[in-house]
Amino acid sequence: MKSRAHRFKENAAASLANPVLQANLRTAKGKFVDKRAIAIKELDDFEATREAAKDIRNRVLEHLDLWLEKFEEVACARGAKVLWAKDGEEVCRLVVEIGKQHGVKKAVKSKSMLSEEAGLNQALEAAGIRPVETDLGEYILQINDNEPPSHIIAPVVHKSLDEVADLFAKTHKTPRKTDIPALTREAREVLREHFLSAEMGISGGNFLIAETGSVALVTNEGNGRMVTTLPRVHVVITGIEKVIPTLEDLATLMRLLPRSATGQSISNYVSLLTGVKAAGESDGPEHLYFILVDSGRAGLVGSEFQDMLRCIRCGACMNHCPVYQTIGGQAYGWGYPGPMGSVLTPLYTGLENALDLPHAATLCNQCGVVCPVKIPLPDLLRRLREKQLENHLRPWFERMALKAWAWVAERPSLYALATRFGVRYLAWLAGGQKSIPLLGIAPGWTQGRDFPAPEGKTFRELYRARSR
Amino acid sequence: MTSREDILARLRARLNRSEANAAAARAALEATLAAKAIGPRPAIDTQKSALAGRLIEKSLAQSSTVDCVASLAEAPAAVARYLATNGLPAQAVVWPALAALDWAGVGLAIQARGAVDADRVGITGCFCAIAETGTLMLCSGPATPATVSLLPETHIALVPASRIVPAMEEAFALARAELGALPRAVNFVSGPSRTGDIEQTIVLGAHGPSRVHLLLIEGA
Repeated sequence: MKSRAHRFKENAAASLANPVLQANLRTAKGKFVDKRAIAIKELDDFEATREAAKDIRNRVLEHLDLWLEKFEEVACARGAKVLWAKDGEEVCRLVVEIGKQHGVKKAVKSKSMLSEEAGLNQALEAAGIRPVETDLGEYILQINDNEPPSHIIAPVVHKSLDEVADLFAKTHKTPRKTDIPALTREAREVLREHFLSAEMGISGGNFLIAETGSVALVTNEGNGRMVTTLPRVHVVITGIEKVIPTLEDLATLMRLLPRSATGQSISNYVSLLTGVKAAGESDGPEHLYFILVDSGRAGLVGSEFQDMLRCIRCGACMNHCPVYQTIGGQAYGWGYPGPMGSVLTPLYTGLENALDLPHAATLCNQCGVVCPVKIPLPDLLRRLREKQLENHLRPWFERMALKAWAWVAERPSLYALATRFGVRYLAWLAGGQKSIPLLGIAPGWTQGRDFPAPEGKTFRELYRARSR
Repeated sequence: MTSREDILARLRARLNRSEANAAAARAALEATLAAKAIGPRPAIDTQKSALAGRLIEKSLAQSSTVDCVASLAEAPAAVARYLATNGLPAQAVVWPALAALDWAGVGLAIQARGAVDADRVGITGCFCAIAETGTLMLCSGPATPATVSLLPETHIALVPASRIVPAMEEAFALARAELGALPRAVNFVSGPSRTGDIEQTIVLGAHGPSRVHLLLIEGA
């Protein structure tokens, strides 16, 4: 999918001005945050479990080349074919080739973020293969002219019941329904036909298990099971970083993933899929393909951003982010919103294409605190800001201002003088009020808020007066 | 260079891979696979009755329903009662592995095969059940097709009390001991299929069953 991250400020302003979106965001926020807070209490030692999960993910990343070779060896021994893709374009080419080879006319898809990254649906359509999204949220987006998702696990969190009701009535040509169970029922019936008639199923993968050569799929709706059980071809598309060593490691990670994502103790369906249909079996695919995708991931291995590759895509960071809660996911402009997206989008699409994202954070560390695999998201965002400066990607006045500030800050007596002048100027500007409504030298700052007025003395002055 | 070689070459370069350190790293990898280390986990009372109690409690919390019978022979009658109570037809598709039970004796028209779209009720056993989260572990195979727990609106699972294990770790250990390798599909099922996609309102029966009924067999 084409990134719109370079237009973040406009996108965010539009989100702030959208009353429907604002109302939906307010409802969603409480549900995710409260349910997670209750669910993690079921674990006797949540912190130790996070630490263990972090270790599991790190252990693989330290020797990712060898773990991938191991996974490939075991998966192939069970009858799967393992393919590799350098980028989204290659993912599209491989899936289209597989589709053509097996005479596929329709492909049912269970949620795959990588297929969003690659723009796979458009490629399939161009090749005459009809892609059908089957996760209810993704389906709603697809029939709404391929609208981009706003959350990695709740893609239509921004949509109201009314919008969905209109969309279903229009697309399915049925009487407009306004209750959620009836709409869900309608989608079930429409999509059931597709499950039964598709020749190919395409899924993502939550984890690849090296020990058994399996993919682990976590869903609530059961669409993941349908997609991997009924069609005769199953294609798994995952990033190369998704490998974990053993089934025991899966057990540990599964204590964290659903709790962090939706606040469930466990998702309804966790499926481990290994190899192809066995002799005598009445269901299951005859062909299983894994497409292991790089798309910028290998470049993060061994880098200062390697920690990001631990991500298990739960969405807790965005659910808890004050910026995400205010603007929603679509403003971020690519498939991954919130703090994890603000790190991944510049790293995968180019620093220069997402200049605002690393700044779209208060660095409050809510994301770091809730991350089940302990990714230091604020540190990574700060490093991206540094990279922008090093690569001369910030505006000249910002670079000059920082240089000037650094020059002054390195000279304590000059710094004291400058701040004394500064606070007195601001106090004068406030004219006895507690805040300044318009700041002449930085009007952007006071566009949406007042600037708090200083009392008239610097901290150092107050401190000195007090210690006397 | 193929994409495989290209990606692996870049990873090796980034990880400073050499002939010398590869051997040690491979040994560490094999050691990790062999160790199968278990992470921190919640304490669970592993007494037989406590395991069953927890399985029931957690299953109910997931909107499943639960019934108990003393022996496997009593299962068909309990299934018939459940179907009658819920206004469902006295017919079902059943795992071939359970075909030998006396279904006809209680008036149930049973077909032992994989499920198709028209089937309204599917009856399965389970490989084991997990007390920690109230989860069924279903293993696919010719006698245990995965569709039976997936396509029908109603899924009834026979759960022998002797097959309740504390957690996923024990379930995997059991699979290794009894099956060797994993079957094509292992499905962990925790309650009816659901979605919360529209306004975060939970609705049961998204794509899979909207009813999951556990029949606990105390003497099996």
